[in-house]
Amino acid sequence: MITLNLATMITNKKYLIGVFDNEHTLVDAFEKALEKGVVIEEVYTPYPIHEILHGMKNKTNITTAAFFYGLFGVTAIIGGMYYAAVIDWPLLFGGKPFNTFPSFIVVSIVTTILTITILTLFTFSVRAKIYPGKQADIIDIRATDDKFIILLDQDKMGIKIPEVTQLFQSHGASEVYQKEATSN
Amino acid sequence: MYKTDIRGKLIDGEKTLSQISQEILAPIDAKVPKWWYISMGISLVMLALGVKSVYITLTQGIGTWGVNSTVAWGWEIINFVWWIGIGHAGTAFSIFLLILRQKWRTAINRAAEAMTVVAVFCAALFPLMHMGRPWLFFFIFPYPNTRGPLWVNFNSPLFWDFMAISAYLLISASFWYFGMVPDFATIRDTTKSKIKKAVYGFFAFGWVGSSREWLRYEGLAFVLGGIAAVLVVSVHSIVSTDFAVSVEPGWHTTLFPPYFVVGAIFSGFAMVLTLVTLMKKLYNMGDFITENHVDAVCRILVFISLIMGTAYITEIFIAWYSGSEYEMYTFFKNRITGDYAMQFWGMFIFNALLPQLFWSRKVRRNLWVVFVISLFINLGMWFERFNIVVTSLSKNYLPASWAEYHPTWIEIGFFIGTLGMFSAGVLLFFRYIPQIAIAEVKMISKYNTQQSDHLKPGHHDYE
Repeated sequence: MITLNLATMITNKKYLIGVFDNEHTLVDAFEKALEKGVVIEEVYTPYPIHEILHGMKNKTNITTAAFFYGLFGVTAIIGGMYYAAVIDWPLLFGGKPFNTFPSFIVVSIVTTILTITILTLFTFSVRAKIYPGKQADIIDIRATDDKFIILLDQDKMGIKIPEVTQLFQSHGASEVYQKEATSN
Repeated sequence: MYKTDIRGKLIDGEKTLSQISQEILAPIDAKVPKWWYISMGISLVMLALGVKSVYITLTQGIGTWGVNSTVAWGWEIINFVWWIGIGHAGTAFSIFLLILRQKWRTAINRAAEAMTVVAVFCAALFPLMHMGRPWLFFFIFPYPNTRGPLWVNFNSPLFWDFMAISAYLLISASFWYFGMVPDFATIRDTTKSKIKKAVYGFFAFGWVGSSREWLRYEGLAFVLGGIAAVLVVSVHSIVSTDFAVSVEPGWHTTLFPPYFVVGAIFSGFAMVLTLVTLMKKLYNMGDFITENHVDAVCRILVFISLIMGTAYITEIFIAWYSGSEYEMYTFFKNRITGDYAMQFWGMFIFNALLPQLFWSRKVRRNLWVVFVISLFINLGMWFERFNIVVTSLSKNYLPASWAEYHPTWIEIGFFIGTLGMFSAGVLLFFRYIPQIAIAEVKMISKYNTQQSDHLKPGHHDYE
């Protein structure tokens, strides 16, 4: 995570920022940069771009987590209903069995969905660090409007500044600039 | 890949990404128009009437309503099913059209989801008040308690309903909210007002649009979308089992779950149509909600209307074909003819016949006609619920227990109150929230420009 803090220049990281006007030029420059072995710190875009999401090689296991939440939910609700209807408080009505399983199915589905929703939202909030009132660590304010930003850490990018500037500009970057910011 | 030349443009005019943000956000920054205050005033008056009705119900009990021991479910259940049905379209739009990769959903899904949240909230009030002692509503929760310990009846559709509506409210609200987070960030980063920056910044949850955020965001949308699709179908199936598991003539039918689900989507889509025509006209969103969008919703409506017509006719046919005299009586003497014939024919004409006008391209392209038909469909769907609830109950197996039902002004006031709450909610949505999903519209904007045609073949298009 990166916080802008111009007062603490000593601990600052130096970043190189490439600004692009559209998805096409961004993806082009991004792929060329990857081919040249440039290490890309992060890409900021106004909407999700799948070439970038794949290229950044980050992975999310939120779907797997959701599956296990569902498994937990369905076990808990069926187990709970079995406990209530058979063990804790068996009721005789019309000679029907205590465990009326088929009629448990509908409510199990709905309650499982409720469990998945609550736990997945919580997981998303924790893992993506998205929560109410969080201060945004903005690198370039235009990234949520109409610009596409590639962020490089100058110490780790594995290429010299003029080279990468040249690379970005030749692939349609509208701006390339340097910025200092603290990292935490 | 979306073929603009075949399906029509998704956005009218060549717009830059920045223009898209500005035009969608214009109503938030613009001076509030006079009609907004007037409409809000009317909505609040309606809401006040609702509050008064609820107050009387709470202090004097549901004896103040017109329901009696024969027709124990009156306007409250009708309105509950009606609102829940309307609430279905938001999720249906978002989920089914997402699954079917319908890109035109992007201009409409935000309004549909907003409508869902308000409508489900309105719906939840009715069963709550119908309990008679709503302050004891927590008895529905299955928890170990001091009353026996007595568990809830896990086999009762009324309990399922409670769980289903809780899940539905939560999932549709979160789907709607998380869809708005990137747009709130856009407002935070583009507004000049410090107050807006702070307020929308708070609600933007620190969103910056990084690839890590988008990745998880898409994962979340995928999970919520996948499970909500199941939920949409199950919620209204459960509402239908509230009726279908009883042995009342006209209710005891296996047709009910699909009939209710389709009916719900039908009424919800009609309400979406009402809202988007308003957005198009009142807020000049015509560039984003084009004629093609309205056209697409109308086409869906004509299709669903045919299913509705088939369901109505199937019910009537089975009543005759089954040879059950009670079913015959309910359908032929108490619906098609009899005391409640007006409601039956209102339902049939508005839901099954009137939408057939949408076969005509001219009708689909005339916004005023579309608007009026959408209102009539909503009225027709209300009649449908009246038809189901009241006609079956009022004249059941035993003629000695037959009774008529007329709502009191308190019931009517309660319903008007929820209408006021709904319109006030929608007006607040128009005023303070981006009416169209900005990030999603930006994503599809590439299909409008020449640039998209030049994407290399190697670039996968996952949309």
